[in-house]
Amino acid sequence: MLYYYEEIRIVIEVVSAVMCFILVRFMIKPYEVTGESRYIGLPLGFGFLGATYVLSAFSIYLPDIFGGNTFYIQLIARTFAFLFIAFTYHFSKKPTKNSRWFWKITLTLLFILLIISFLIVDLPNFDNVYSYRTADIGFRVINIIIILYICIHTFRSYIEKPSSTTIWIPIGYAFLAVSQYSTLLFAIVVDLSHYTIFGALILRLIFLSIFLFVAIRTFYQKRR
Amino acid sequence: MKKIARRDKMKIYGDLLTILQYEINNEKIVLTRLQLKLNVPFDRLKQYLTELKDLDLIEDVTSPKLTEKGKEYISEYEKVLDFMRRMGLEYQK
Repeated sequence: MLYYYEEIRIVIEVVSAVMCFILVRFMIKPYEVTGESRYIGLPLGFGFLGATYVLSAFSIYLPDIFGGNTFYIQLIARTFAFLFIAFTYHFSKKPTKNSRWFWKITLTLLFILLIISFLIVDLPNFDNVYSYRTADIGFRVINIIIILYICIHTFRSYIEKPSSTTIWIPIGYAFLAVSQYSTLLFAIVVDLSHYTIFGALILRLIFLSIFLFVAIRTFYQKRR
Repeated sequence: MKKIARRDKMKIYGDLLTILQYEINNEKIVLTRLQLKLNVPFDRLKQYLTELKDLDLIEDVTSPKLTEKGKEYISEYEKVLDFMRRMGLEYQK
């Protein structure tokens, strides 16, 4: 039997996942058209984000099957999703002779780290060693740092060429950073109201809506 | 020749097709003019044009014109560059 707020949360998680998977279709275009592997981090990042939202929905709906380690897996995968996006931004600004190699090494290391993390989580009695709350706080702090890096990068791009079309993405990432901050507060202060977590989820929906708006406007707006 | 950042092949293809699109109203497209605008050696330009012809993106190598497929490609290419600019991504300007 689900509580009312759990039902709402499942709906928001599913909607977020669908939005992420639609965004993947747009985010893969820079890689498809330019053939530059350093842009593959964007669809990977949004794909992983979408997958974590699906896992989140399942872990609420079927806690007996998707409980326990699934919580850790979605925490880790979400942080890696943000890392994929952040490294894409980092390497997009440095088209040097060796940057392609550095990107390939970074991508390989990220995947190795991700697999090792999943294997560690799968160890027996893992949740006796690390409490979920400690892990949650730690990963949220890392997420905020990564998103702030992306925010600064995109805002710098806007400052270089100020335009009404380039301001939306840094604003979108800022919403995501505040959303992560809200979930961090929810993790730190145990008896905080559920409004905090729903505030965070709504901010996340705003972030995804901004990105969808920008993508649809770019690809489907009629041009002269 | 002015010094520009190193471009990958896809970027050169994109630039070349964009120039051809702007030259669409010209009866005859002069290759040396294309070469100056694209900023590549002449033999390299001819090589790129042959490759684009093989991909069915242009009609003729000596007086290149965009095919329908070429027009579609350049439209998509410009949209993607615009999307990357909006996303705050850089692509070898």
